[in-house]
Amino acid sequence: MKQHNERGIMSSYDLKRPITRWAYYFMNVLVVIMMCCMIYPILISMFNGLKMTAEVNTFPPTFFPREWHFENYVTAWNYIDLPYYFRNTLLLFIGNLIVVVVALGLAAYALSKMKVPFKNGIYYYFLVTLFIPATTYMIPNFINLKELGLMGSFAAIWLPAGANAFFLLLLKSFIDSIHIEIFESARIDGASEVRSFFQIALPLSIPIFATLSIFIFSTAWNDWFWPSFILSQENKPLSVAIKDFVLNARRLDMNIKFAILTIVMLPPIIIFLFFQKFILRGLHMGSVKG
Amino acid sequence: MNQSMNTTEASIIYNKPQKQKTSNWRRYIWGVLFVLPAFIIFALFLWLPISKGLLNSFYTVDFVKGNSFVGLANYKTIFTDPYVLQSIKNTLYYMGLALVIGFWVPIFFALCISEMRRFQGFARVAAYLPYVVPFVVLYGVWRWLYDPVGPINALLKLIGIDQINFMVDRSWSMISIVIMETWQSFGSAMLIYLAAVLSVPRDWYEAAEIDGAGIWQRIRYITLPAIRNQIILLLMLQLISTSQGFQTQYAMLDGGPNNATLTYALLIVRYAFVRQDYGVASALGVLMFIALSVLAILQYRSNSKGGV
Repeated sequence: MKQHNERGIMSSYDLKRPITRWAYYFMNVLVVIMMCCMIYPILISMFNGLKMTAEVNTFPPTFFPREWHFENYVTAWNYIDLPYYFRNTLLLFIGNLIVVVVALGLAAYALSKMKVPFKNGIYYYFLVTLFIPATTYMIPNFINLKELGLMGSFAAIWLPAGANAFFLLLLKSFIDSIHIEIFESARIDGASEVRSFFQIALPLSIPIFATLSIFIFSTAWNDWFWPSFILSQENKPLSVAIKDFVLNARRLDMNIKFAILTIVMLPPIIIFLFFQKFILRGLHMGSVKG
Repeated sequence: MNQSMNTTEASIIYNKPQKQKTSNWRRYIWGVLFVLPAFIIFALFLWLPISKGLLNSFYTVDFVKGNSFVGLANYKTIFTDPYVLQSIKNTLYYMGLALVIGFWVPIFFALCISEMRRFQGFARVAAYLPYVVPFVVLYGVWRWLYDPVGPINALLKLIGIDQINFMVDRSWSMISIVIMETWQSFGSAMLIYLAAVLSVPRDWYEAAEIDGAGIWQRIRYITLPAIRNQIILLLMLQLISTSQGFQTQYAMLDGGPNNATLTYALLIVRYAFVRQDYGVASALGVLMFIALSVLAILQYRSNSKGGV
């Protein structure tokens, strides 16, 4: 990092030429414009939530509210039962995480460190599913869940969360990098396989599970299409509730709408801003190394 | 009992050839038990639906009266439906637009940000920020941004361009969707490029500069080749995801105006959930899988022929 502060593609010598220097300034301006474009929609929805309805609909739109109506956020909070839907989202996240940790964690550990008959065959059985795009069997998947009698319940989301070959791949390659000697010495000391998984493999794999939980959290928080068809009315997560009751609502005032949207978008943004170092590092671990 | 336990454990550790027959299943039993849950989950929620999809494409699916075999009738429906051709065209258009409008953006900004001497962290976080905003929120916010009297049109008016009806105008609707999706997701791709650009050793540029290479030449012959792998990888990922794209089109416009944003995957959804014709929807899925596999094989072949 230190080194790169001294020079990038351009050196300080390049910047002495006026044309290059202006181009460099222009480039910085472009980046600033990009940053504004990124932040503007987020800020404007926050401020729109504080305006009067009439002001939201004025043309050209104002950025800062003329009058600050903080009570909009109270109205928004009471418009739908946000904590209830938030609880559903949280339940989805926790259930998905448990299924992934238990089912995929055990399988990845076994494939990496244990004797399994037809190991390669089983590994391919898991991995081949990566090459079948999910959209192509989306409808049969729906029919399948209906025929299994899972439709409407959380289990229809929880259990299929474990059928993720990408997560298995990440887990296995992480566990592969743990030295086998640790497990061998545990075995010599008399630890059972279950114990060496839960007391050795699992704690050592915390980093990769943290990465996976970021993915799982963002799926639980974001995904609206699939849950809207699978889950019953009382099990709908926040995203579906917003889609059904806020976006498609005809008689909802714009300022209240923006206030609700802001309430929903703030938690992930705040989590991201606080833990961004950790999250970006985690995502980097999850990205395929080209 | 105790002793036999000890010997099996010993045989696990030392892998002794004797007594292998009796202890064979014991050596495997835990491994099998560990793999079993995932194995069952994959069977139930991936392989079962995949095979059902193949099967259902030859049936009329009826949840009440039961399925009935109709042979190739579902496929016949598909080949006579004009919407299918339209949706394929729309999907290709969407993929093309996503490349033209969106693909270069993360590379460009990765290069720019890597050159910034200060506030690099800020730029990075700002670019990634929209990625953590839930999709449903984006739909709501962008509908307003694209409004005929929304902020984007206000900006256009400021620089003297006539009002554009981003959502309703047939020629703009798909472009609007691609712009929104680029805005939302280019940050994550940019971070991957940025990491690659920053890992290029600085002395390479130093050496090139001493040899008289200009800035463009340095980018062209050093930086871009260095991030070539990432470019190819993300290109593939983008093509895979845009070929299946439908959620934004569905949520923002429901395939409209006048089917201008009806993608192939959205047509599948329509067949299933609007017309309740699950057989045809399954057949459409099968055809899509075949098309994508052919593409993947062609791509793989051309890659291996290119001597990469």
